[in-house]
Amino acid sequence: MTTRADHASPEETVDPTNWTNKLRGRIEGLVPKGQALPARQPVYVASWIYVFGVLTLASLVVVVASGCVLAMGGVAWWHVSSLGHFFNSIHLWSVEMTFGFMVIHLWGKFWMAAWRGKRALTWMSGIMLFGISIGTSFTGFLSQSNFDSQWIGGQAKDGLNSIGAGAFFNVLNPGQMLMWHIVLLPLAVGALTLVHIILVRRHGVVPPLDAELEG
Amino acid sequence: MSGLSMATAAPGRYISWGVLQISVTNATIIGVMILVFILALVVPFPTHDDESDEQGHR
Repeated sequence: MTTRADHASPEETVDPTNWTNKLRGRIEGLVPKGQALPARQPVYVASWIYVFGVLTLASLVVVVASGCVLAMGGVAWWHVSSLGHFFNSIHLWSVEMTFGFMVIHLWGKFWMAAWRGKRALTWMSGIMLFGISIGTSFTGFLSQSNFDSQWIGGQAKDGLNSIGAGAFFNVLNPGQMLMWHIVLLPLAVGALTLVHIILVRRHGVVPPLDAELEG
Repeated sequence: MSGLSMATAAPGRYISWGVLQISVTNATIIGVMILVFILALVVPFPTHDDESDEQGHR
């Protein structure tokens, strides 16, 4: 019996013109060795304020999972089914938790100036994530298929039309808003979350201001 | 709650202060978030002091 290792020649694994080798090198170099999922953290991380980033991530997982269940039942499922109403409520309250944790995470990082130590991209990706998350939740409120969503769409259209966005982003079109809510914006949130986490693991958790001054 | 009863429900309670207006619900949520933020800063995190190594890792 032969294994894959038997066939791999040294040239095959180090050839710099091979795009697979280049891609593997890129992926392996995203975070320092052993920092992708570290089991130990600097001592200053032992504070509740450092917990809110992962709480945001955990509640986001519940948001996506409950959204997938709602996608199976359809947009009007929660109006006619107690099970659908249950998952709709799980979806709403996990979003509330995500934003609550995200904002406390933002406050904590702002007051410790978390952009220090070449962490500007981490900060900026977090701010972008916050903004796109707000857009994702707003399109969710437009997808309730009730009088509330109709009223919100009616209120939002003038503002969006005044900046020209109404030409391609029509809040009075529930089908378009649903697609933005369940496909385009979640893809953007997912991709930016991945970038944000990689940057955090790449540069490490920011130390407190007084710890840096002492160091 | 049916769609009709939601449509005819009474408006929420609001706090007005000059040009500022906020619902009691939103003010409560913001107040609780500020409280949780302060608690996260002052409540000690459960740790085992003997676990940290020479480099200050846990």
